[in-house]
Amino acid sequence: MSKFTKEMVDSYANKLLFNLTEEENQMVLDEFEVIDKTIDLINKIDGIDKLEPMTHALDDFAVDLRDDISEESIELKDALGNAGAVEGREIEVPKVVE
Amino acid sequence: MIDKSILEIHEALKDGTITSEELVGESLNKSKEIQEKYNAFVTIIDDAKGTGITESLISGIPFGVKDNFSTKDILTTGSSNTLNNYVPIFNATAVEKLLDAGAVITNKTVLDEFGLGGTGTTGHTGIVKNPWDRTRMCAGSSSGSACAVAAGVYPFALGSDTGDSVRKPAAYCGIVGYKPTYGMISRFGLFPFASSLDHVGVLTRNVEDAAIVTDIMKGKDSHDMTTWDSSNIHLKEALTRDVKGKTLFYIKELCDINNYDNPSKELVEHLDNFHKTLGLCKELGIEVFEESIDQKILNAIGSVYVVISCAEATSNLSNLTGIIYGPRSDKKNINEMMIDYRTKGFSPLIKRRLVIGSYVLQKENQEKYFKNAQKLRRMIVNIMKEFYKAYDGLILPVSCGPAKLLDGSIDKVSREAMALEDHLQIGNFGGFPSITIPNGFVDNLPVGVNITGNCYDDENILNLAYALESKMPYKNQIAKEVN
Repeated sequence: MSKFTKEMVDSYANKLLFNLTEEENQMVLDEFEVIDKTIDLINKIDGIDKLEPMTHALDDFAVDLRDDISEESIELKDALGNAGAVEGREIEVPKVVE
Repeated sequence: MIDKSILEIHEALKDGTITSEELVGESLNKSKEIQEKYNAFVTIIDDAKGTGITESLISGIPFGVKDNFSTKDILTTGSSNTLNNYVPIFNATAVEKLLDAGAVITNKTVLDEFGLGGTGTTGHTGIVKNPWDRTRMCAGSSSGSACAVAAGVYPFALGSDTGDSVRKPAAYCGIVGYKPTYGMISRFGLFPFASSLDHVGVLTRNVEDAAIVTDIMKGKDSHDMTTWDSSNIHLKEALTRDVKGKTLFYIKELCDINNYDNPSKELVEHLDNFHKTLGLCKELGIEVFEESIDQKILNAIGSVYVVISCAEATSNLSNLTGIIYGPRSDKKNINEMMIDYRTKGFSPLIKRRLVIGSYVLQKENQEKYFKNAQKLRRMIVNIMKEFYKAYDGLILPVSCGPAKLLDGSIDKVSREAMALEDHLQIGNFGGFPSITIPNGFVDNLPVGVNITGNCYDDENILNLAYALESKMPYKNQIAKEVN
């Protein structure tokens, strides 16, 4: 029996703030099985345990920190321009504390 | 004139044979025609205007922008319903540099939603069809850009490449797709998908145009801390260097037809054509060698990519709440608003990838999935870096053959052939410069060959690609429907 369940998939989706249809849930379950099998293969590759995880494409970044100088900010109307509802200087949302 | 090379158009603009305004008109008319046939665009910018002609080679010339690059005051959707009304207030750095050089945007091109796909079928405006054969895909995610350049809408378009999203569509559409070394072009203003793998790239119809456009876009950017100083790199100038004595290698396990059980006719022809291309390399004086990589490692490339990219995407797309931008839900509770917005806005494919990303990032799964995928990423990159001590570049066929049918034929790719589908992702794992150029036809449809080199060695890689391109008759080809 698969170690992956429909409920498990739904709980991950809920953590990501979306719901899945039955069909979408099944698609994820199918893909989990495939990934799980391949990961088992990865874990068996010789020498993998001795390596450091590679978190970025380049290992030789030379990061220059900027001076702490204030820069011009964007206009308020620009900052609010894409919001669905605005009141005065703020983005409007439904009451959070009920 | 719009279907010519950048240099040809520039000369015509300078001597007055054509004006920028006329070119823009040509590009817009062609955009409408192409949209009707292949659905390549999210937005056609009807009021685009011509510009003055300067010494900049791209001044006055129209171009396309993948719709995951921010464009000031122009709708930018990422081909997602979650941002179907989003209008940025700034230009991505890559876009800004092209505009500063006098180029003109005539359209925004369709992608797989937020770049998370390789078929050109998941954008919110519908499927992008291949300009050589409407029953086939362009691949993705830079589907619209590849389609439009191949169809002659303009000489170049912006793309982004997280796995192979510039280089595979280029092959399927019979054009050039180039992604430089990671960080050579700023990602500021590009919607992030998987930040450690995302590259800005360009689609053109010849290698020289790719060099010209990249020379303009590259450079350090204070808005992207991963950019680096490339002022000593001059891609266009380096194109004509002598390639005699340079060295390329290919991977036996991917290129030997005997390694495939029941290979398709297309795969047989594709690999046969690839070996003919190696013959052309040798005619140029390039030495070509065969090398071997453990098949287990090659088979795992796709999974390494899926695990890392999905995990990073989970984080990068978490800012999509529908509150500060995106179409707002009418639910009465803020949590329900976000759930409703994301449930309705994301396509099934994106949801699937995000759930996978969330799963591999769970505390109890991180070591087994995410960390081990990152470790194998390092192993693969280390293997490549060892090869690059001996060779100038890796040369491989792109994909298993020409563009796949849109009816789901991708599922029919055999397991051993999957590595051939996935190997371009190595270029993203290591941030390597990588270019695809057309190298012939299989079943009357274009196929491509890819050259990938070591980081910062972009001049060398484009030099090799330019030389190889000169030995084949596919430079500047325009797509014509064959089926």
